[in-house]
Amino acid sequence: MSSKFNQSSNITAQNQLIQWINEAGMAEGTKKTNLLRKTVELLLHSASQMLPVYIENILSYVSDKSNDIKKLVVNFIEEISKLHPQYLPKVIAHLRLFISDTVVAVQKRAIQAASIVYRNTLLWICKETADLPEMQLVWENLTQLKLMVLNMIDSDNEGIRTHSIKFLEEVVLLQSHSEGSSDNEFSLDDLPSHLPFINRRALEEESEHIFKLLVKFHNSQHISSVNLMACMTTLCLLAKFRPKFMPRVVQALGDLHTTLPPTLSQSQVNSVRKHLKMLLINLIKHPSSNEMMPQLTQLLIDIGMTTQEIHKAIPKERRNKRVGEIKTGDAPSKRFRVDSPQSNSQGSDSNSRSDFTMFEDDSSQSTPKPTVTEDSILDGLNNVENVVGLVTSTLVNCLPTEMPANFINIYKPIPNSGSKAQKKNLAKMILGLIKDEPVVPAPITQPPQSIPLPTQSIPQPVPQPIQPVSQPSFSDLAAKIPLLRDDDEKMTLKNAVAKLQESTKADRQVESAVSKLMEETRQEHLKEEERKAKDKEKPVPPPTPTVPKLKQKVKLLKLQEITRPIPKEIKERLLIQAVNRILKAEKESAIGGVSQIRSKFITIFASSYTPEIRELVLNYILEDPLGRNELALSWLYEEYAFMQGFNRHPVTLQPKLHEKHDQNYNQLLCALITQICERGEPIVENARDILLRKIYSEAPVVTEEAVDYLKHLVTEEKVAFLALDILEELCLMRPPRAHKYVASLVCHVLNENEEIRDTTTKSILKIYKEGTDSVRKVIEKHANLYLGFISLSSPPQELFNTRHMMRVPWNDELFKLCLNLVMALFPLNEELILEVGRVYGCAGSDAKRVVLRCIEAPVRAVIDPAPQQLRAVIDPAPQQLRPAFRTLLQHCPRGAETLLTRLVHIFTERAPPSEELVSRVRELYATRVSDVRFLIPVLTGLSKKEILAALPKLIKLNPVVVKEVFNKLLGLQNPNEESPISPVELMIALHLIDPSTADLKYIIKATALCFGEKNTYTQDVLSAVLQRLAEEQEIPVLMLRTVLQALTLYPALAPLVLNVLQLLIDKEVWLNKVAWEGWVKCCERLLPSSGFLLGSLPARALTPAALPGSLQRALHAHVNSLPSRERGSLPPHVIAAAQEPQPQSQYPPSSAPVEPLPPGMD
Amino acid sequence: MDDLYIAVVCSSNMNRSMEAHAFLVKKGFKVKSFGTGEKVKLPGASADRPNCYDFGIPYDDIYNDLMEKDKGYYTQNGLLHMLDRNRRIKPCPEKFQVSTERFDVIVTCEERVYDQVVEWFGSRRSVHNQPVHVINIDIQDNHEEATIGAFLISDMVTKMAQSEDLDNDIDELLHDFEGKCQRPILNCIMFY
Repeated sequence: MSSKFNQSSNITAQNQLIQWINEAGMAEGTKKTNLLRKTVELLLHSASQMLPVYIENILSYVSDKSNDIKKLVVNFIEEISKLHPQYLPKVIAHLRLFISDTVVAVQKRAIQAASIVYRNTLLWICKETADLPEMQLVWENLTQLKLMVLNMIDSDNEGIRTHSIKFLEEVVLLQSHSEGSSDNEFSLDDLPSHLPFINRRALEEESEHIFKLLVKFHNSQHISSVNLMACMTTLCLLAKFRPKFMPRVVQALGDLHTTLPPTLSQSQVNSVRKHLKMLLINLIKHPSSNEMMPQLTQLLIDIGMTTQEIHKAIPKERRNKRVGEIKTGDAPSKRFRVDSPQSNSQGSDSNSRSDFTMFEDDSSQSTPKPTVTEDSILDGLNNVENVVGLVTSTLVNCLPTEMPANFINIYKPIPNSGSKAQKKNLAKMILGLIKDEPVVPAPITQPPQSIPLPTQSIPQPVPQPIQPVSQPSFSDLAAKIPLLRDDDEKMTLKNAVAKLQESTKADRQVESAVSKLMEETRQEHLKEEERKAKDKEKPVPPPTPTVPKLKQKVKLLKLQEITRPIPKEIKERLLIQAVNRILKAEKESAIGGVSQIRSKFITIFASSYTPEIRELVLNYILEDPLGRNELALSWLYEEYAFMQGFNRHPVTLQPKLHEKHDQNYNQLLCALITQICERGEPIVENARDILLRKIYSEAPVVTEEAVDYLKHLVTEEKVAFLALDILEELCLMRPPRAHKYVASLVCHVLNENEEIRDTTTKSILKIYKEGTDSVRKVIEKHANLYLGFISLSSPPQELFNTRHMMRVPWNDELFKLCLNLVMALFPLNEELILEVGRVYGCAGSDAKRVVLRCIEAPVRAVIDPAPQQLRAVIDPAPQQLRPAFRTLLQHCPRGAETLLTRLVHIFTERAPPSEELVSRVRELYATRVSDVRFLIPVLTGLSKKEILAALPKLIKLNPVVVKEVFNKLLGLQNPNEESPISPVELMIALHLIDPSTADLKYIIKATALCFGEKNTYTQDVLSAVLQRLAEEQEIPVLMLRTVLQALTLYPALAPLVLNVLQLLIDKEVWLNKVAWEGWVKCCERLLPSSGFLLGSLPARALTPAALPGSLQRALHAHVNSLPSRERGSLPPHVIAAAQEPQPQSQYPPSSAPVEPLPPGMD
Repeated sequence: MDDLYIAVVCSSNMNRSMEAHAFLVKKGFKVKSFGTGEKVKLPGASADRPNCYDFGIPYDDIYNDLMEKDKGYYTQNGLLHMLDRNRRIKPCPEKFQVSTERFDVIVTCEERVYDQVVEWFGSRRSVHNQPVHVINIDIQDNHEEATIGAFLISDMVTKMAQSEDLDNDIDELLHDFEGKCQRPILNCIMFY
């Protein structure tokens, strides 16, 4: 059934095939390609039994025009080789044709296929299923194909080169021993050795040369980046699968890293390096790289990877293995394993170089040479006789007569001579010598004993200046594959260097396993020396073989483990020294433009470390305070920052032991200030003013102590005013804390020194004006405090704070002192008057007196701030009562009446009292103040009635006061003031005062005062007064006295007076004794015109007792002068009185009018 | 030479590679796109909580998932739009490392992705010996840069396609292109 099905399907497939092949023959372009592709698929997979029939149909397209079809055919061949290798003999020739195709793309595809075909062919040959001639045919074709591709590595087309590289890679892989590689891929070992046309050694040799060719291509200068990377990949792949290539690959990569082709652009370089890194990491991951690990690691480090990264890249199990290796590094067996692959490859290298017979390689393995091993030499060295013999013979035979010049330079005594390690080294070196003997030119060879350092003793090939070798064409090279003489020297050189490295590496591995840290450093040193020596020896560095750096033992150093803490004292000493250096570098830092940084350093040091450093820096600043004040300030700020916790320094920098940040700041500030003030040096002295100001004004905060110091400075003669000034400045410039500073200033208003007092007062006033509320409050508090002193029984201590004298009782000076401030403030704050009033009430009389005296000026200033002349013009109206005064008047403190009086007095000095004031005063007068004097200032504001009521009291006062009162009442004091009472009324009022309420004496004085004001009491006024007085019911006591005085002042009043006298007669003036006397006197004065009055007197009045003599005589004369007719009409008592004139007159009639006595004087 | 087979590779096969994929497809190139990351990562509600999906989960599913999670947010940040675009191009994000196809050119969008691609090649043996050019152009992972990047990739690929013999011209071509686009370019050749 199945066979039947198969058969039918076969038939279908065949039909299909035939149809497609036919169609393909007819079709063109893509259709043809597709048809052919289908045909190929069918043929290869479903209808493979028809292959023999139709294979030619497909292969015939080898010369088709279309590249796609050609490629399809190539693909077909490739698949044939894979699936049906028995047809290889039929297709292999076609593949050759494709390789030499004219189209690059086809060529590439063919090369690509060739590598697969090559592999498959070898597999096919191994099976040996075909006939020998067939196999031979295929093989020969393949060999030719191989040669063709080898030639292509020098192609002009980069793509072809790329493909060739890949092909050659395959060839090398296939034609070399697998050397126990883990993979089960094909290798030379699988190739049957009995086939006549296959020579395995030849193949291996060929692969070796192809490898070299690849390396050379890899290292060539004009390789494109893509090919370079392809080549790198290939080499690495080879190294991975064929470990014998590993060292050379690693070296080639190392060379590449140091000398990249100059034609690459930057990004190509980047790509290449990246690629290199990737490849190297891949390599170290691969087990075959174990032996090359140091070089690889070094290379990776050179590329820029860290040791940690590299460590990560190495697979875990191998990491451990490596550790184990190092631990057991001494064991010879391990060492052998480590060395063997290298010695192998190197051995083959050197051998192939020395004689190019293909079979040398194998034979070298069996020659007795390898029996001379390091171990055997070591044994020999352990034998004393041998050594002695060796030394002796060397001394005799090999020692040059003169010491070479470079010997002296490079010679170093062997430190570990005689030790096992050194012996091993020696053994290794000798082994190297023995092996390389033919290469090494004799003069350079030196006996090991005479050579101080193992590495230096390794014989170097004479550094031949490498000629810029004209690059031989790769195809040339390929043509003579078995012979590689072109590169001999280069190779030799490389090998020698490689060997050198290997041996040193081995040494180091052994030694590093046994030696301690010191030993390692020595090795480092030696290595350095060695490198130097090498540099010397090679004046012209060879371009190709760069020395991969030796493996460095990667040891993670932990600082804590390898260092010891420095003792504290030393640390501190170092610290101080360091700071000292920084301090000294002032100029240098300025030149370098890092003054800022320097000062930052200094401040940090000063603020964060020990007191010693603080002191150091402080002294440094004080050496030149003017120049270094900036530093001082920045330090201050640093301290301030600490104090406030603003600093951003790491925790370690923050002072722990000296945690009194605020104190630090304060101490520094005070230290700076005091030092500046107290240092007697002239520089400081001169700059003191500026410095103090600067520090006080620029410091971030002025502490209490600093202010106290300033306060103290005021007592110092030299700087008192500076201190005051600074204090003022502080208060003004630092408003937030001014209330703290101002107290230190304000106390100086009590200073004994007047100048200081004044300055302080001025400052305080300024501050008070500009200050904040809190500042004002402080000042007020002080003012009130000092004011309060005056009510104390004895002066308080404060007053003597600044004086050196003993306490004294109160005196005016002291009182004044206390009042200074409050009085000065008064114009700015009237409210203070309340407190003044309160204190005044409690104060003693002396104090009161002083207060009254002192308050005058400020109050005047308050109520009359404008200059007088202006005020008179602008503000003639009564001033409004100030609120403060109003309050004071409302709540008059006990005992302060006098003050109030004084105040009211001052208020009314220049302006008429306001109604309010009058009413207040009136009220007070009625309730509290009984003293009439209180009324005086507001007299003009009172009603007439009130004035009249008060008048009896007023006139009793001190004459001066009375005078003032009258001035007021008469409007003399202030022309604008209108007196409520007229002069006439006043005079009358005076006369009408009840003598029981006021002594007559006072009234007389008062009237006298009135008469004194002649301008007011003119003739008219007086006449009005006299008339009014005459109209009174009762004759006022002083009336006739006044009449007399008026008459004296104004004689022209005589007629009026006569009238008055006449009126008085009607009032029976003679009944009033006093009045009568006055009347008589008037009459006497007015004689003779008053004679008729006498005549009209009634008899009772005309008694001699009543009339003085002069009057009698006057009467007599009068009567006599009358015409007789009239005389007869006279009453008889008149006639009688007139008849007896007195002989003597009391007052001579002719005498001048009698001056009245001065008022109030009698 | 015949049509280049191009792969565009980014980390998640979402933004940059898909943008370029869409663009190159429109230009008629034979192109596929891939991601090299462990997972398909998309920005989430916060930076530390990305949305992660396995390769192979269809764009459509991701779209619906995000839509459900926060439609407004993912509309606003453009993710849904991007996913919508992606699902019209191909069904799901693909992981480069599991692809068995052989390309002529692989364009990577980030150095890390380039490293991963090269690493992947380095970790396996070539069987077919077919060369492939791996080229990296750094493109930031955001919409704008992805668009610009797609233009750049298209420019470069166009030049490549115009080349008669890419293997021969690649060095020069990339060098010229690098000068033009002002971005560093990494390239190497690997083998399938």
